[in-house]
Amino acid sequence: MATLSWTAAGAGWQAQRSRAFAFGLAPSLAVLLVITLVPAAALLVGSLTPLSLTDPAATFRFDDPLVNYRHLLEDGRFLDSIGTQLKLSVASVALQLGVGLGLALLLDGRSRILQASRTAFLIPMVLPPIVVALIWKILYTPDISPMHRALEAIGLPVHSLIANADTALWAIAVADTWQWFPFTMLMVLAALQTLPADPVEAASLDGASRWQLFRYIVLPHIRPVLVVCGLFRLIDSFKAFPLIYVLTDGGPGTVTEVTNYYGFIQAFNFSYWGYGSAIAVVILAGVFLLSWGVGKLGWNSHEHPGH
Amino acid sequence: MSTLGIEVSLQAPASAAPPPEIRLAPPRAARPARAGWLRRNVRGMAALVVLVAVLAPFLWLVQLAFRPADRIFDEALGFTPTLAGFTSLLQGNFVRSFANSLVVSTLSTVLSLAIGVPAAYALTRWNFPGRRHVALWILVTRMAPPIAFTIPFFLAYRWLGLQDTVVGLALVYLTFNLAIVIWLMQTFFESVPASLEEAAWIDGCGIWQAFWRITLPLAAPGLAATAVLCFVFSWNDFFYALILTRTQAVTAPVAIVNFLQYEGWEWAKIAAAGTLVALPVVIFTVLVRRYLVHGLTAGSVKD
Repeated sequence: MATLSWTAAGAGWQAQRSRAFAFGLAPSLAVLLVITLVPAAALLVGSLTPLSLTDPAATFRFDDPLVNYRHLLEDGRFLDSIGTQLKLSVASVALQLGVGLGLALLLDGRSRILQASRTAFLIPMVLPPIVVALIWKILYTPDISPMHRALEAIGLPVHSLIANADTALWAIAVADTWQWFPFTMLMVLAALQTLPADPVEAASLDGASRWQLFRYIVLPHIRPVLVVCGLFRLIDSFKAFPLIYVLTDGGPGTVTEVTNYYGFIQAFNFSYWGYGSAIAVVILAGVFLLSWGVGKLGWNSHEHPGH
Repeated sequence: MSTLGIEVSLQAPASAAPPPEIRLAPPRAARPARAGWLRRNVRGMAALVVLVAVLAPFLWLVQLAFRPADRIFDEALGFTPTLAGFTSLLQGNFVRSFANSLVVSTLSTVLSLAIGVPAAYALTRWNFPGRRHVALWILVTRMAPPIAFTIPFFLAYRWLGLQDTVVGLALVYLTFNLAIVIWLMQTFFESVPASLEEAAWIDGCGIWQAFWRITLPLAAPGLAATAVLCFVFSWNDFFYALILTRTQAVTAPVAIVNFLQYEGWEWAKIAAAGTLVALPVVIFTVLVRRYLVHGLTAGSVKD
């Protein structure tokens, strides 16, 4: 946001400058228009038609534009998928915030070891998601899993957690937490950098315990970051795909079938593109709603720091 | 310039400045120095123990890759490492998938830099009406769930003949890479003093000439970091590749899933493939760790 102190500029030079900048900006805007806004519009239009592989002629049939959305309201599998999505998202985001916060507090120091291990803790987050899914597939496959072997060794053999309808969703939440806790960890570490030293020093001179320091000084300071982290992860959790695809394929039955996955099945397994588009529009609406919430909260916490 | 703001300064991307160190937890005034030293190291040890525990699942994958195929189900932890898992990948299509991944990721990175870098520069230096809205729109594209893009892209590609092509996939990756480039490069360009460019303009350089000769070289470390991040994000994609490829343009992550589905008992081979796909990302993480933080949290903090 640099303001130029270019005072000698004449109007001609200014116009020339604006033209040059517009010339640099135009290709990006044109490409973004074609690859984001046009598909979004196509998605919306497609969701109003009964388009599918078996009925390609339906591309531009709008005689009953809300048919897909009406169908969604009666589709028990879709409604269940929203419940599953919420359970998975809330559980894994809560776990990530807890683990991320704990590790950030542990790593908040200047020693060499702490500095160096910080990068290593990022590995789960940067690994290709499909490798993360593979890692957990191995952990949840009794034949080759170190976890299952250890449990067997202490006399507690457990059946595969992802084949059991009661545990499958939580098994995925754990894997998702492993992948994404570094995000919260990073953000909280960054927030701890800006923690003012004076109040902490004053409080510890006054004999505040470590828990009191955390509760009354550190926590209020990082709370806005935790809120934003939570919302960001919540938005991203709607996109979770590789873990479910590799670990459970939505099963057993449909207990791990989240909305995103149900949309994928409708659109690409059954080739009901119109119906799949309607599901995608619902997810998109949810994402925008939450993004808007992030913006709102972000601004508020900016205006009233520490609240 | 951010829209979603709390005041958090992450690793500042100033090209020349050393990375800011995370400040020590407040000094305990009343404690003797030795106790502080001990405490710090206890904490470091605890961190290392946790680190090993956290990375154990990943390390288990890597050791499986080096196990002889007939020892995979062994109870014993010890074994003589072998490269058989890796060499078995040489037969079959994995090499081709790996090459596809390299080509797609490189192509998408080059494209998004070529298109996005001038735009980022214009957004940094040009205060035009509506600038904030454009910046916000670019950020929001990063939030949108891939499923919303895949259905239209899938249908359009069927019609355009871009299905199952490397070029088609590289174009789709622009949906997230372009936003990353524009967003990140703005922060790097901001750290280049505008006065340098103004001096060049007085000497008769055009806007883009000054950019090419002065600003871009100064922002080179940032450019490299951005390129790495674009590459990694493309490399890591699974969803688009799964849907938009069939046989010709299959990428390495999709190849791994095919192994799991059709050769699910060959764990050594599968683990070797997983290790190979993870390798470039882990290397890059170490190389650009200074900038990584910024890229991974792009948009979620106030710059």
